[in-house]
Amino acid sequence: MSAQPEMSVAVNAVLSVNNLSKSFGGLRATNDVTFDVAPHQVTAMIGPNGAGKTTVFNLITNLLSKDRGQVLFLGRDLAGLSAVKIADMGLIRTFQSARVFPGMTAIENVMVGCHRLALHSGASQTLWLSSARSEERRMLRRAEEMLELVGLAPFKDTHATELPMGAQKLLEVVRALMAQPKLLCLDEPAAGLNDTETQELASLLRAIRTLGIPVLIVEHNMSLVMNVADQVVVIDSGAIIAKGTPAEIQGNKQVIEAYLGRENHAAS
Amino acid sequence: MLEFLQICIGGLVVGSTYAVIALGFSLVYRVTGAINLSQGGFAIIAAMIGYTLGVAWGWPLWVAIPSAVAVTVGIGMALGAFTFVPALDRLSNANVLMLTAGILTMIEGFTLVVWGSQPYAMPPFSGEAPLVFGPLRVPTQAFWVIGATGVCIAALWLLIAKTKLGTGLRACAENPGAASLMGIDVPRMTLLSFGLATLIAAIAGVTVAPTTSLQFDTGRLFTISGFVAAAIGGIASFPGAVIGGLFLGLVTQLATAYISSLFSTAISLLILLAVLIWRPSGFVQARVGKRQDTRDEAKATGHVARLPSNLAWPAAALAVAAALLIPFVVTDNGILSGLVIAGILFMTLMGLDVLMGYAGQVSLGQAGFMAIGGYTSGYLSINTETAPWLAILAGIFVSLACGLVLSVVTLRLRGLYLALATLAFGLLVDSCAVGFLDITGGPSGLVGIPAFSVAGIEFATPRAMYYVVLALDLVIFIGLTGALRSSFGRALKAIRSDQMAAAALGINTVRYKLAAFMISVTLASLAGSMYAFFFNFLSPEMVGTGRSLELVAMLIIGGESTLLGGLFGASLLTLLPTMFQPLAIYKTFASGALLVASFLYLPQGLYGAVVQIAIRLSRPKTNTEAKTAAKTSARVL
Repeated sequence: MSAQPEMSVAVNAVLSVNNLSKSFGGLRATNDVTFDVAPHQVTAMIGPNGAGKTTVFNLITNLLSKDRGQVLFLGRDLAGLSAVKIADMGLIRTFQSARVFPGMTAIENVMVGCHRLALHSGASQTLWLSSARSEERRMLRRAEEMLELVGLAPFKDTHATELPMGAQKLLEVVRALMAQPKLLCLDEPAAGLNDTETQELASLLRAIRTLGIPVLIVEHNMSLVMNVADQVVVIDSGAIIAKGTPAEIQGNKQVIEAYLGRENHAAS
Repeated sequence: MLEFLQICIGGLVVGSTYAVIALGFSLVYRVTGAINLSQGGFAIIAAMIGYTLGVAWGWPLWVAIPSAVAVTVGIGMALGAFTFVPALDRLSNANVLMLTAGILTMIEGFTLVVWGSQPYAMPPFSGEAPLVFGPLRVPTQAFWVIGATGVCIAALWLLIAKTKLGTGLRACAENPGAASLMGIDVPRMTLLSFGLATLIAAIAGVTVAPTTSLQFDTGRLFTISGFVAAAIGGIASFPGAVIGGLFLGLVTQLATAYISSLFSTAISLLILLAVLIWRPSGFVQARVGKRQDTRDEAKATGHVARLPSNLAWPAAALAVAAALLIPFVVTDNGILSGLVIAGILFMTLMGLDVLMGYAGQVSLGQAGFMAIGGYTSGYLSINTETAPWLAILAGIFVSLACGLVLSVVTLRLRGLYLALATLAFGLLVDSCAVGFLDITGGPSGLVGIPAFSVAGIEFATPRAMYYVVLALDLVIFIGLTGALRSSFGRALKAIRSDQMAAAALGINTVRYKLAAFMISVTLASLAGSMYAFFFNFLSPEMVGTGRSLELVAMLIIGGESTLLGGLFGASLLTLLPTMFQPLAIYKTFASGALLVASFLYLPQGLYGAVVQIAIRLSRPKTNTEAKTAAKTSARVL
């Protein structure tokens, strides 16, 4: 299963999105979007409301079918693959509205994350095989560590839906992290969070980067993006208008006019 | 040709009744997004009251019939206000459907208590003499039935399309949240739709009564036929309901006349399953009706009480010890048999809990697999002298094969369509059990099934059987606990609460749902076989749709997604009637009423209540500080 030599050339980027296009009726929601996500980096996709960020996201994970274009993940074309297959390959996403599992406790929620890594099936769990039990204990320990990491350890037996919004969002991120993603895709993780919660999220994202996990993040919150991103892709009206480091983007005239400028006007 | 026309007229009469009941389904569905299975129950209650007033008390029919309808609507509104309306806010639509199944059972039980189990015949409204058109003879009641149907359809259409009230009802159908913001009293509208549905069901009941024989469980037949008709025609559409009803009436009458009455239900059910595969939303697509998705998911949460492990282990040890000793204390064979039955049903219930409680898949046809297992192993051990354990395995094998075929349909369906498909499956098995005389012995049952035995050792007494069942239950329980408390169980729960999020984490939803289904099929089949071996006899009603509904009631009463809850539900509903014989006639009523009450007031079931009490009692003991604190505070108080 080792990577083919010609593949490893392509694997320079964890994810490469090429000429992605999608129209809804007459509206071009996504127009010729091309960008890469480099290993060990946090790539952020920003843009004003309705710019088509989440659409790009859903096109990448095949929740929507694309009209044109190609998505390569670790050198493999994702065309036609189901959500389960994509997750199995290590591309794990979260959702814009926190989708924790109701009816399960915080720790159970996190443990669902490592489902794809479980070696033991229901059959060996039914037989109480000691290897299955010890795997279960390992998962539990890892999940506890994860909750510790985001400060939710005291709430491990609380039902997930009873946690405040910010905690639910963090829970969703660590749940995704439990799946040991080869690429973590976060859809507006800061939406609905207050300032302190956003700070916690930012430090979690930095911690994820130090683990070497590449992240693609769709975000609205500018300060968060400028804080944690290595690369920024700016989208407006479904098309990419700029790419670069946060510093480059902050200095980019087109971006300031199309996006930041407008917001500054609104703010002042 | 003449015969054909005569049959068609019969079909139209039956079909009109189905159409009216289907209309009731459609109405409630359109306003609330939920399915109301109690429809047929109200039809039969109206007919029975009509009989009492008109025949037993000798009131003139023109007084008796409207009074019967009025009384029924009154009962319906009261039941609706106290059960259906509050339930809509608290329960998912799948659970509302089961709640209404509980109301249906309750009505059935009530009818049984008041009118007994004998059949009644109602005189036609305008004399016995049929109208004669040349060679055709049409009973006058046919005009009453078809006329009443026409009036109901026209009145309902006028109400919905032409009045302000109708606009309000439709607004509730489209978006209850927005409707209530616009000043529409949604609970009132819900109750109104329930009352209207009761009214048309009652009209259907009294007008059709003279053409059929009335019995306490005729209502279930009305419900099922109406539901099937509504589903075939398109549940969200009024014209669909009418078309579906007439179509179903014609098909069943023609099938009865030209093929066999034993298989007429089977044919209509096969049509239903075909429609569910080919076009799940029915013949007539309605523009409304995305309802069930908008309301369903958010309420599918369940907070399950769990004993802390420091209590769980001693409790388990105590329970096992007690279970082992019971046969030495309880010598009454009746009660011991009740325990054996409860233990056998508990096997099915554990499987049903995996399927319903954990994976969130509704099944209203679980007893169908008990039937397949029971009849297969019964037939084999009578006719081929197969060893019981081999016969059981054969039964499981046949059940799994049937389950796989069924899953082709069910895996594509959710919510009410899933409930419908499983119900149809159960009924299909019912009618096969009655119809395949050579294999099943037909309605009178399969007799002469030997007792369960292993390697020549017979377990013929209730006491011996008790230990066999206890051992099986323990093995199954321990095994399932292992799986459900590990990644397998978490995956199922994740699927239950959010399929898309589960899939995004790499959980193969199809595979897990199938696994849960197969587990439930295996256990149901095993229980069916044990049932047959225990009674040495198996008849269709022992493992029929009534049993399926009872199983759901037991699970809900005991507590869903607790695995152990089923034991509580099964013991309660099996042992109480055994211990208090005079109460036996109330069993059906009690199981329906308890189901409804559990849904509304005991969301975690009996097991949940017991666990909470245990936790509360144990708290002072585990923490001495809390104990003294509690004592001082008690003294202060």
